[in-house]
Amino acid sequence: MNMKTSKYIYALVLATSLTFTGCSDFLDTENNSSITGDNFYQSEEDFSAATAPLYSKVWFDFNDKFYYGLGDGRGYNLYAPYSSYIYPFTDLNETGLTGPLVSAWGSLYNVIQQSNKVILGIKGSTLSDQDIKNQYIAEARFMRGVAYSYLAMLWGNVIISENTNDLIDNPIVNTNPTSDVYEFAMRDLEFAAKYLPKSSSPKGRVNKYSAYALLSRVYLTYAGYSSNANSGTRNQEYLDLAKKAADKVITESDFSILDNYEDLFMITNNNNAESVFALQWIANGAYGEANTLQSYLACGSEITNDAAAWGYWTRAQPDVVWEYEADDTRRKATWMAYGDHYDEIQIANGGYTYDKTETALNVKKYVCGSTKDNAGISEQSCPINTYMMRLAEVYLIYAEAVLGNNASTTDVTALKYFNKVRTRAGLAAKESIAFEDIRHERRMELCMEGQYWYDLVRRAYYKQQEVINYIKNQQRDVITPVLWNTDSQTLTIDASRDPGSRSIGNIDESIFLLPYPESETVQNPLLKADPVSYEFKEDRITDLFN
Amino acid sequence: MKNTNHYYSRPLGLFILLCLIPLWALAQTITVKGVVKDSSGEPVIGASVLEVGTSNGTITDLAGGFSLKVSSKGKLIISFIGYQKQEVLVGGKSQFNIIMKDDTKVLDEVVVVGYGQMKRSDLTGAVVSVSSDAISKSVVTSVDQVLQGRAAGVQVQQNSGMPGASSSIRIRGVNSLNGSNEPIFVIDGVIIDSSTGSGTDNALSSINPSDIVSMDVLKDASATAIYGARAANGVIIITTKRGQSGEAKITYDGYFGWQEMPKKLDMLNLREYAELKNVKSGKDYAGANWGIVQADDNFVRPDLLGEGTDWQDEMFQKATMTSHNLSVTGGNDKSNYALGAGYLNQDGIAIGSGFRRLNLRGSFDSQVKKYLKMGINFAFSNSRQKLTVSDESLIETALKQTPNVAVRNAEGNFDGPDTDEYVQNNPVGLAMLNDNRNEKMGIRANTYAEATIINGLTLKTELSFDYGITNTYKFDPSYTFGAIVNGTREGAYSKSYNKYWSWRNIVTYNKKFGNHNLSAMLGQEMQKSRWEYLYGSRKGYLSNSATDLTLGDPSTAQNDGTSGESSILSYFGRMFYSYNDKYLLTFTMRRDGSSKFYKDNRWGWFPSAALAWRISSEDFLKDNSVINNLKLRIGWGTVGNQNVTNNAYLATYSSVGTIWGTGLLASNTPNQKLKWESTYSSNIGLDLNLFQNRIEFIADLYYKKTKDLLLQVPLPAYVGTTGAGSTSAPWKNIGSLENKGLELTLNTINIDKGHFQWKSNLVFSLNRNKVKELDTESSLINKTYQSGDLVTVISRTVVGKSIGQFYGYKIIGRFEKATDFYYKDAEGNVKPTALPEDMSIGKNSVWIGDYIFEDVNKDGVIDDQDRDFIGNPEPDFTYGIGNTFSYKGFDLSIYLNGSYGNEVVNWGRRQLDNPRENTNLLKSALDYAQLGLINAAGPDDYRNVQIIGGDAHAARMAASSATNTSNYRFSDKFVEDGSYLRIQSISFGYTFPNKWVSKFGLQNLKLYCNLQNVYTFTKYKGYDPEIGSSNQDALLTGFDNYRYPSPRIYTFGLNLTF
Repeated sequence: MNMKTSKYIYALVLATSLTFTGCSDFLDTENNSSITGDNFYQSEEDFSAATAPLYSKVWFDFNDKFYYGLGDGRGYNLYAPYSSYIYPFTDLNETGLTGPLVSAWGSLYNVIQQSNKVILGIKGSTLSDQDIKNQYIAEARFMRGVAYSYLAMLWGNVIISENTNDLIDNPIVNTNPTSDVYEFAMRDLEFAAKYLPKSSSPKGRVNKYSAYALLSRVYLTYAGYSSNANSGTRNQEYLDLAKKAADKVITESDFSILDNYEDLFMITNNNNAESVFALQWIANGAYGEANTLQSYLACGSEITNDAAAWGYWTRAQPDVVWEYEADDTRRKATWMAYGDHYDEIQIANGGYTYDKTETALNVKKYVCGSTKDNAGISEQSCPINTYMMRLAEVYLIYAEAVLGNNASTTDVTALKYFNKVRTRAGLAAKESIAFEDIRHERRMELCMEGQYWYDLVRRAYYKQQEVINYIKNQQRDVITPVLWNTDSQTLTIDASRDPGSRSIGNIDESIFLLPYPESETVQNPLLKADPVSYEFKEDRITDLFN
Repeated sequence: MKNTNHYYSRPLGLFILLCLIPLWALAQTITVKGVVKDSSGEPVIGASVLEVGTSNGTITDLAGGFSLKVSSKGKLIISFIGYQKQEVLVGGKSQFNIIMKDDTKVLDEVVVVGYGQMKRSDLTGAVVSVSSDAISKSVVTSVDQVLQGRAAGVQVQQNSGMPGASSSIRIRGVNSLNGSNEPIFVIDGVIIDSSTGSGTDNALSSINPSDIVSMDVLKDASATAIYGARAANGVIIITTKRGQSGEAKITYDGYFGWQEMPKKLDMLNLREYAELKNVKSGKDYAGANWGIVQADDNFVRPDLLGEGTDWQDEMFQKATMTSHNLSVTGGNDKSNYALGAGYLNQDGIAIGSGFRRLNLRGSFDSQVKKYLKMGINFAFSNSRQKLTVSDESLIETALKQTPNVAVRNAEGNFDGPDTDEYVQNNPVGLAMLNDNRNEKMGIRANTYAEATIINGLTLKTELSFDYGITNTYKFDPSYTFGAIVNGTREGAYSKSYNKYWSWRNIVTYNKKFGNHNLSAMLGQEMQKSRWEYLYGSRKGYLSNSATDLTLGDPSTAQNDGTSGESSILSYFGRMFYSYNDKYLLTFTMRRDGSSKFYKDNRWGWFPSAALAWRISSEDFLKDNSVINNLKLRIGWGTVGNQNVTNNAYLATYSSVGTIWGTGLLASNTPNQKLKWESTYSSNIGLDLNLFQNRIEFIADLYYKKTKDLLLQVPLPAYVGTTGAGSTSAPWKNIGSLENKGLELTLNTINIDKGHFQWKSNLVFSLNRNKVKELDTESSLINKTYQSGDLVTVISRTVVGKSIGQFYGYKIIGRFEKATDFYYKDAEGNVKPTALPEDMSIGKNSVWIGDYIFEDVNKDGVIDDQDRDFIGNPEPDFTYGIGNTFSYKGFDLSIYLNGSYGNEVVNWGRRQLDNPRENTNLLKSALDYAQLGLINAAGPDDYRNVQIIGGDAHAARMAASSATNTSNYRFSDKFVEDGSYLRIQSISFGYTFPNKWVSKFGLQNLKLYCNLQNVYTFTKYKGYDPEIGSSNQDALLTGFDNYRYPSPRIYTFGLNLTF
């Protein structure tokens, strides 16, 4: 081959290669790491896969610290002098920068926005079966409604969003007033009550009666809400709705209460008959998919068998221990006191006996042991469900709704349900119920289930001064040294030690609303402006109790 | 910026010596003899000695001597590459001593300009080069460090002093709000994206600096536009060694060194710590309980205690480093080759860090046919890096760990605190026991064929690969450090595989007709990147010794795997035209398509044009004896940026494990409108060489405007974009910003007399950055940092200001006395001084000794609306000063660099300077304002309290956490002047005379020692004012969060050629 020919051949090869490489589908790349929008929301299976994470990951940041830090910390069931994720709440001096406050806000809105995306995704689906579509839309609206009910109780005026894209295009919007937020939450839950199936399938998913149960709580709360925080009365219409909703759950649903209170908090009893709505965490879950509660609450590494046991200084506030009646079996299931024995922890050693200190009680509820006790447990991951609502609470809501604006009640049904909760705890039945009985019973029954602060807020909607006085009487600025007496099973003041002191925020009407996260007010100054009323886009369901 | 040809001078000389046949002189001649030496007195071997006007000549021998028969009235011309030509009249003399002067004329140096080369004198754009000389005169372990302060307009800051860690490189300021502002590196034709490195992990660490011949930094768009879509942050072209014709040359270069901490922080010793703790658990000035901590029974008599543990001494050590490099180059007139091997082993000055690297490389080029040249080069690297210190924040732990905790207990095992709550772990124990490292392997290869079709027209096709594997190893053993027990062993391993290839075809045409010189290039390129990632972990290992996954409990197994790919398709061209070497013109054009954007927005045009005028070639300056070169350059161009995540335009869902099987959550917010970010830039430059090039001066003025800034828009959390289970915020094109600046370079030969030479170089860069538009709703971008449960806004970027400025409260004073709580306004009304939101005058709220913050919006309360800009991380200017002295075989070079006018956030001080914190503290924390009652019998009322001691600028120690949080909010108290001047390196070397070393068959032998990071002049209170950017994020620059300090390094080395 002469030189000239080979040159031409070379040029030809090059020219061919240039043509070949000019293909523009070179820019269409492969994506195996995520599912894209075009091929999702096509079947019931897809819907079910889309609603499943609404029980866990989106709630993760809410569950991680805020669930107990706010619910029990701010309610003052907990004393945690060194845990910056609890004491700003107990000391009533949290700010827009307090970590769990910021992350809970984000988490509740993740629930809302992911639910919105599911709702819009299903609405836009080509699947023709409207009943199936409604069922899964109802599941997502259930979650959104629960999230808004929390936002209403915590922050009051917040932004109502039904479509994330609107907010992405224009995130600077006004808040909507608390009453609209409540109404929005109720409408969501009412939709859920109408369209969810009668029983859960599979186990753990919410059903129609889960929605009624949550509705009963929101109705009851909203009954007290008015422009006058010291009106002293509640709206009878909503009290009745609360009662009706609770009654539906109690009389029509598959739910029933367990015989033994302690059994509620065993991993093996996840999604038991009493569980109305619970966050669902997987075994050995990765961050975001796991229940981290135990790591913050467990008092020592001997329980978890790893370094993640940060709860030694997260303790029972003495006041809550003193409030247990003698023989209340719930105390031991909630708090570990010196000498208490738990069979389910350190099973290999024949159980665990708490002997860390006599000067405090540590948390038991949601503390389940180590991977040796249950293979599903690993560091910062304990697959116990987080209760968002139990049937026992529905019983108490029924009783409270019946009590309504009366000083006390002897209503037979109310007493029956109320006493079911008491007798299970090994206590004598009551013959008449006053509000103080309800407050006490709720605090004991739901202690460390993140409820007590909301109980106080619910009351403060119409008897604010009474709640302010109650909180002042808690004397959060004085830390009383105490000693547990194993023989008498009582907690006494330890006079040999000086009381400590804490500086706490002002106790006034402002404590019933949390500050907006600073990162939010910076980006949207309108959060601090007056709210504008929300324009509801559909008719409210009215045939729920016909 | 030194001539690179010099490097090859000796082998080439030898080659000529070996190849040329001595020419014999004619009759009527005399024999002249002489010796040719260089300015240091060394013989110049292989210099050519020629009788002018004839072909009569010879070559100097090993002693620099020559002998030649010439006409007695003739003229000799002596020349050698790297030296100025010399002419001498024979004039009947028979003995000559000729001293050759270094040729400082660098104008005809070849510069690599992207898909081609150019003579420096033909350049029209702003290009700066750094030669291998600069590398050999400093101890650098990574190529990015070479550029530090050596190239005007290039700002390099090491993000961490940890071995193997990355740098932030900013060419002409910050161009993008998007995470990375790092330039691309083109290494022998392979494009490497340095932004792939994170804070501790450097994408460039696999490259051995000693393999490098030159680095050319393309700065303005007229130079970078040829790289189009990826060139917005500048381009750095690295050329590695290739063979030269001649006898094989073997070079060994190695050094051994020590590293140490350049500075220690002044922390509390045990006595001081105990005293402070006793104060905090005792009674305050008014007899009330402080109640901050519980009393520690061990601290009853602090005076009996010793110094306790100095955790800095325990954590930091003197560490060694060694480096060996061997290279072989050679070839003949058809083919040449280069082979090299390198090894670096650098221990970290902090326990639990270290870096090792092995490099192998080779290149082979051959003129296979008269018209066809082919070549290949490959580089293999294997590096290992220990990461325990950075991954577990052990420097922070070591500073916070209290002096009452021992490193080891009486049995010699690691000890720890006596409780496991709210204490620090044993950082030394963790560093020693925890396995946390990575190992990378990479192979980079480039092969080409270049055909000359007709004279001046060449076709080149080039295929490049860059394959990399990264393995990470992490094993947490079980341990008991005092009360801290970890019973669960956990192993987590990952493997990632990166694959990049590109194929380009280039046609080049060069033609010279008369005074017209034309060079044109057309090309096409396709690039594809793909990555895969695999992760697995298990717990429940039975022992700490064998750690493979298979030994963990299978029921605890977790795994993950992901992959992704992206591609770019491009067409480009360049035309260069010059007339009479006076008027030079360059046009480039590139069109890029990127897979990162939606179909409709994929393609972008990137044009540029530049003009240069060599005024010194004009008649009126042509023979000027002072001005050797004067060139004016003007350029304009556009470049792009496509740094967004893959699939940003597609709605994607990610999987979530649920008890009912895999669930799916929306994972992003797609934006189909997303398009290129474009930077338009203009440049005016001047090159001036005076007095036989003894003075070289380069000045550039530039203006750059970046439009359609790419940013993952910061949205409020209520949009569902923050935290677990959120969707990521959309990427958008959201605004524009500008950079303008001035760069000056001055290279001078100050003294060149006899054997003594003194050269200086000065580099000065000034850049001003300003955001012009932001289309986000709030028109601002906050950058937050989360520590523990607190999220703090650190920097804010707004229109009209430079990006990433620190944002916080301003302290304007301290409540010294009761009257400070009130002030008189303009009308003379007494008003209360603004107090923080929800706080009032009170001992557990705001009290004497607390800070007064500026009420910026004058609404009478201090809240988040009262924050303001409190510092700028962008320096007023940066500079580098180098001086090189040589005398005979000795050379000394001293190199300084500095930064002026930038601010730094000393984040550690928010804790370490806060007396209320229960960790160990800086000594300065003891200077808190001490209070006392004015009237001891009076009440504990703020009107009866005064400050009786402590530093005049420190707040009181407060029992209330709310007060403490308020005083230690993020304010200008923690913003410090980050200006510094650093003696970056001092190197001293001795090159043995040739006549000695040649006896041992050596060509060159040099011994040297080097001091790196010698001393830093600064007011900064932390370890090191050179901070860099956290995760290379431009919005979080100058934020010192317990940064690993850069070590001081002493090395001794040897350079040998034979």
